[in-house]
Amino acid sequence: MSSISGKLVFALVLNFLLVQQPLHAQDSAATLTGTVTDAFGNPVPNTRISVKDSATGQSSEAQTDSDGHFTVPNLAAGDYEVVASSDRASSSPQKVTLTAGGSQILSLKLSQQDNLPSAPSSSKAEPSLEDLGFSPAESQANARQQALLDRRTHMLKIHQRMGLITTIPMIASVVTSLNAGGRSQGTASRDLHVALGALTGDLYGITAYYAIRAPRIPGTQTKGPIKVHKILAWIHGPGMIATPILGAIAFNQKNNGEKVHGVASAHGPVAIVTAGAFGAALLAVSVKF
Amino acid sequence: MNKKLLPLFLFATLAPLRAADNTWVLKESTLSYHVSHPLHQTDGVSHAARGKGVCHEGQCDFLIAVPVKSFDSGDSNRDLHMLQVTKGAEYPMVMVRTRLPESAESSTTLKADLEIHFAGQTAHYQQVPFDVKTEGNLKHITGTIPTGLSDFKIDPPSLLTIPVKNEMPVRIDMTWTPQ
Repeated sequence: MSSISGKLVFALVLNFLLVQQPLHAQDSAATLTGTVTDAFGNPVPNTRISVKDSATGQSSEAQTDSDGHFTVPNLAAGDYEVVASSDRASSSPQKVTLTAGGSQILSLKLSQQDNLPSAPSSSKAEPSLEDLGFSPAESQANARQQALLDRRTHMLKIHQRMGLITTIPMIASVVTSLNAGGRSQGTASRDLHVALGALTGDLYGITAYYAIRAPRIPGTQTKGPIKVHKILAWIHGPGMIATPILGAIAFNQKNNGEKVHGVASAHGPVAIVTAGAFGAALLAVSVKF
Repeated sequence: MNKKLLPLFLFATLAPLRAADNTWVLKESTLSYHVSHPLHQTDGVSHAARGKGVCHEGQCDFLIAVPVKSFDSGDSNRDLHMLQVTKGAEYPMVMVRTRLPESAESSTTLKADLEIHFAGQTAHYQQVPFDVKTEGNLKHITGTIPTGLSDFKIDPPSLLTIPVKNEMPVRIDMTWTPQ
């Protein structure tokens, strides 16, 4: 029991140290963030942001930074109308509903004619993005999807890092397995194998968590080496569940002075297949075949 | 009577001059970026670019735009990662602007000053060389733009904690046709 608690604490501490996810205090105030762009998708700095409370008519003001981003904190829950404006242009008003403690991301676009980027020429004949026939849906910024992509990448970076770390105790487990099932009467090598196997399992669990929980991007079809990587997870995933169960049975049999028999004798082969699939999954996304 | 006909005469004379402005349209294109990593050499390819060139008073203004998400490297995970690091959802289009003298259409090579809007940044490239081949009324333009990730303040994506190289040349292969 104490070893289970120890492992749990270790896993939690490791998770905290590696992931360093900030913990946000719960707050009743809502926050509005977003980006202001011109017709070409370029960020527009120093733009006034007006956030008008639809119920009271009161307005809060903010200004975009050098990257066109803005943040309006400490807003009460309710309906708001948001407008971005500069001396020469303004966006169409956008309505948002804020919930207590929540946050919203907005994308505001200034009218095109007053915000052309500094093109090499400024002749009236110069073609525009609209001339090329792109629909607004294709050319419009989507701050929500960007946030989703950012979160996905953040989680998959941790997944990748944890996967690499997991290979160390996994290889050590395989190496120590050579003595763990031997005829020696001592239990030290077996205990070391168990400890390394448990560490591998914990790290693998964290690695898997960050892959499974990473947001899916709608409309994306999986293709290429990542498809092989995912298929292999269906081998090493169940294997990582079966291996410690079979190992625990084998461990008990050995401790009772019995020869490993029955289903427990599959522990070694299952572990080898699992480790092999894990290594192949890692290689699938690392090396171009 | 003559006074009444004079404006009509002037309009009839000037109208062809106005119509003499040429317009070029991008018929087909292949744009590909190249990214180098010690373990990978990756190319992302797009055929979704659209472009237009408007010539006026001896100068032609060109705009070429391509959706960031249209680049396909053969791996959906890598494409999504590239979309993320290049802020492709916030800034969904790559746009290239250039101005060329109308006389350049008869050349076999040209050097263009390019203004590229990408990932919320604007970068300028001076005197980028391109080859021009003429087939009938089609202009086939090829060349490589020496772009780098840092030009657009893009953090180099990494694989196995090793970042890719900063250089990300973009190969251009376009066919233009007069409209």
